[in-house]
Amino acid sequence: MADKVRSLQEVVASIPDGANLTFGGFAAYFTPLALVRELIRQGKRELEMTSVAECWVADYLAGAGRIRRVRFSNFMFEGLGRCQNFARGVERGEIEVEDYSHFAITSRLVAAGLGVPFLPIKPMAGTDLMRTRGFEAEKARPFACPFTGEPVLLVPAARPDVAVLHVARADRDGNSQLFGYTAVVEEQARAAQRVIVTTEEVVEDTVIRAQPELTVLPSFLVDAVVEVPFGAHPTGMYRYYDPHFEFMRDYYAASRDPAAFRAHLEEWVLGPADHWAYLRKVGLRRLLALRSDPGLGIARMHARTAT
Amino acid sequence: MSANRGEGAPNGVTRQEIMAVAAAREIRNGEVAFIGTGLPMVAAYLAKATHAPDTVLVFESGIVGAKPKELATGVGDLRLLVGCVKSTGLYYALSLLQGGFIDIGFLGAAEVDQYGNLNSTSIGDYQRPTVRLPGSGGANDIGSLAQRLVIMVPHEPRRLVPRVQYLTTPGFLDGPGARERAGLRGEGPTRVITDLAVLDFDPASKRMRLATVHPGVTVEAVEARTGFALLRAPTIGETPPPSAEEVRLLRERIDPEGIYIGQKA
Repeated sequence: MADKVRSLQEVVASIPDGANLTFGGFAAYFTPLALVRELIRQGKRELEMTSVAECWVADYLAGAGRIRRVRFSNFMFEGLGRCQNFARGVERGEIEVEDYSHFAITSRLVAAGLGVPFLPIKPMAGTDLMRTRGFEAEKARPFACPFTGEPVLLVPAARPDVAVLHVARADRDGNSQLFGYTAVVEEQARAAQRVIVTTEEVVEDTVIRAQPELTVLPSFLVDAVVEVPFGAHPTGMYRYYDPHFEFMRDYYAASRDPAAFRAHLEEWVLGPADHWAYLRKVGLRRLLALRSDPGLGIARMHARTAT
Repeated sequence: MSANRGEGAPNGVTRQEIMAVAAAREIRNGEVAFIGTGLPMVAAYLAKATHAPDTVLVFESGIVGAKPKELATGVGDLRLLVGCVKSTGLYYALSLLQGGFIDIGFLGAAEVDQYGNLNSTSIGDYQRPTVRLPGSGGANDIGSLAQRLVIMVPHEPRRLVPRVQYLTTPGFLDGPGARERAGLRGEGPTRVITDLAVLDFDPASKRMRLATVHPGVTVEAVEARTGFALLRAPTIGETPPPSAEEVRLLRERIDPEGIYIGQKA
């Protein structure tokens, strides 16, 4: 069994400027933000994103001025509003975009994972998602089914350079498990040329084998494993901790103004030397208040009052 | 949209409550419904609590058969996961749309045009927009593939526009036959529910028409708040008002904090 455990600094150093990245996470959950903060700390720039709905990643990187272009379907902070940093980057012409539907962009990843050059799909036809093009040389082509003549669109396979996925637990070889819904993690892992897993905890492989139905990634799909407890903070992790809503509201308020957001980055990303310094700054009391109820998998309903 | 209970509606019922109730009534018992954030969620919970207990709620995050105990902040909220029947991925959830398993979907948007096309992408030039909106997400998939689509928007001239600035989600595209030519599934949009009225689409022209006005709202007021020439259904009735039980469920059980249905008086 290979030992793929690496440090956060080491794996981020291996990601070149200009890389095409895809990130795990959905809405306010399981987003690999410890790694994203390290990307910003290490000064990675000119990044490209192949995204579905990784709103927190996109908005952090946009606010730090680190993304050049993004193919995606939706960035929205549920309960807060549209992603201010990302929207501003696009409105100012600093970030190039290519819009897809959820199913279309995910199908591009699925095609890559299946080892086929394209897949036929039904949505997007007849709309500006087809007519109004961004930076993509090939986005989708209308096609008539060779058997029935039924109109479909063909979308080409998409192969990001690196997938960065945050999971609940992984063994040292990279077998990775998630509780709860899985969003696009499995499709992203099979599409990407390299897969970095960040995990709440590194466990013995006997723990994985005791509940194999939770495994989203078998080890051969995974190139590196990084242990980062609370690595999704301020987003939540099912069965570990809830999203930190107060932190998110503060972030969102700061993101409305570039100077205020610069201060947020200085305080929470560039200031702390590493992930442990970041967690110390958030504080033990607040982190513990976010812990999940073992029965529910989320913090107790009606008692979400983390300070 | 006003959040003030009582404005323009009798008996202290908010316009959001009328919208939620009208949307809930679009769901038939036993249907599989694809649900987005906000009022659609309130409507779906209400339908399950009243006439459609066997409705199966599907969320794009990969949550199937949710039986939520409290209101979620969005489709990815893990409160939806507690007690659902299947927890899976986004690709599976959206494949249910393309596979033809979804009976009804609900969508909001920044703009809606007379053919029921929606914009949730951008205002102004696409590459250099005045306002960059969140993007399609699953909206285009729902509009392209659900058997029926119900649109929910605040009734404002800048939202109900002759032509959307970016066509994110197909309604009837440019008119009769266009969905079929594009290879899309389903009937397309069947209802538009606003805070003033319920609208549907003329079967021949596929253009939006006024079906019912909410209690206390005039036809002229609706037309004045619409950015294009609205057709009129042969007879325009009044939207049946929420029952006392529906209002009680909304206020006491589904949205007690008034997050989506408006503040308590």
